[in-house]
Amino acid sequence: MKTYKERQIEKVTAPGTPHFVGDGFRVHNFIPGSSSMQRMDPFIMLDYNSKYNFPATDKPKGVGVHPHRGFETVTIAYKGCVEHGDSAGGGGIIGEGDVQWMTAASGVLHKEFHETEWSKTGGEFQMVQLWVNLPAKDKMSAPKYQAIANAEITKVALPNAAGELEVIAGAYEGEQGPASTFSPIHMYNVKLKTGAKTQLSFPAHYTTAILMVEGDAVINGDTKAEEDHFVMFGNDGESFTVEAENNAVILVLSGEPLKEPIAAHGPFVMNTKEELIDAFQDFNTGKFGYLED
Amino acid sequence: MSLPNFTNFLIEKGGLTAEEVLQVTPFMRTETVANNAFLLKAGEVCSHSFFVESGVLRLYALNEEGKENILQFATENGIVSDRGSVFFQEPSTYYIDAIEPTVVVLFDEAFVNEVAKVNSSFRVHNEKLLQNHIRHLYKRVSLLIGASAKVRYLEFVQRHPDLMLRVPQWMIASYLGITPESLSRVRKALAAENFKSN
Repeated sequence: MKTYKERQIEKVTAPGTPHFVGDGFRVHNFIPGSSSMQRMDPFIMLDYNSKYNFPATDKPKGVGVHPHRGFETVTIAYKGCVEHGDSAGGGGIIGEGDVQWMTAASGVLHKEFHETEWSKTGGEFQMVQLWVNLPAKDKMSAPKYQAIANAEITKVALPNAAGELEVIAGAYEGEQGPASTFSPIHMYNVKLKTGAKTQLSFPAHYTTAILMVEGDAVINGDTKAEEDHFVMFGNDGESFTVEAENNAVILVLSGEPLKEPIAAHGPFVMNTKEELIDAFQDFNTGKFGYLED
Repeated sequence: MSLPNFTNFLIEKGGLTAEEVLQVTPFMRTETVANNAFLLKAGEVCSHSFFVESGVLRLYALNEEGKENILQFATENGIVSDRGSVFFQEPSTYYIDAIEPTVVVLFDEAFVNEVAKVNSSFRVHNEKLLQNHIRHLYKRVSLLIGASAKVRYLEFVQRHPDLMLRVPQWMIASYLGITPESLSRVRKALAAENFKSN
């Protein structure tokens, strides 16, 4: 078996004061809140809605029509159900365990709300929204969706009956995940049983972080990562170990940095200021299409 | 409090050196305005111009039915005031409130005098601001009297590219002097014209 150099922990971040995105997402921001988008390249934003109980309502909560250009939004549903629609005519429902990978690229208008039927009963809601930057050459490509139902996600049994690993994107031990990406990215949900331990390895220069979605764990044998905490790794090695103190679900992100200039303003992430101005102008003049509120 | 936008305004537009900015810093007064909080209410005498360091302000009047008519928005580097109330020391008929958490620099004749002591070119610039504002008001009146909703909208987004994403649409419609439905129609028509589905 190949031996890897251990990757040190750069930072463990506790969830900060949550804020609401629209009225339907109560989130802790970890990117760029904990580490800048330059440091987290190619991951440019991560909002985490930790478990939160939404009361029943006839009027679904969420975020109204807004544009995106220049990147991809990845929504991972752990609890609850979201309905979305966009100006290109796309739309769908993301339920528990599903992932929606939206390539905004040249631009879409979209809206996201709690699913109507789910809203009527309400309940526990837990989601991650991650923005993945696009290489400059792909920023103005055509928008597209990858609706990835949980059944389509590759599931791999971990060695020593430690639990199960879901490969959303990239690969684990040669097993490919369903999402196609524009730059090399690995994205897993690691489900570890109480007391179980596993080791994960990625090229040292890949930006690598984990989010403790459920349960607590000890990282690299000595650092505690509690539920809802975000752990950022350094680039001094390849591998790290995770030992679950109780049944744990861990979102693992690792991506090769794009190393391109970033010009970001609100919902647009481009390479230059001029491209940002174009994005606003194109949005204002209808080039993103139209979507009813 | 660091004021990068106001500092830049004094240097780039006002012609001050970085050292001169330091000399006038003791005379700068700032105010942090919460979302929905007022800087001016009808009946009060407006005492300042407000330079927006960060955030968004609006200037509006209430008509006889209590409807808000928005005369002006001011975002970063913009200035808003009821200049008539300031100059003539008479009660204002307008309101100025914040529609995002906002930081303003208070700007009045005394401040202009202090800056002019340090660098006289600032007075010229201040006069230019006033003339520019009047020019803009002519244009605005002319558009309101004669231009289509589409032309008014396009002129507005050219001037304020980011406001459609920061301000509720009904406020934009109010500023443009059209109904929210009419604004939706304009945006829908533009999308039909310009959206290339992939």
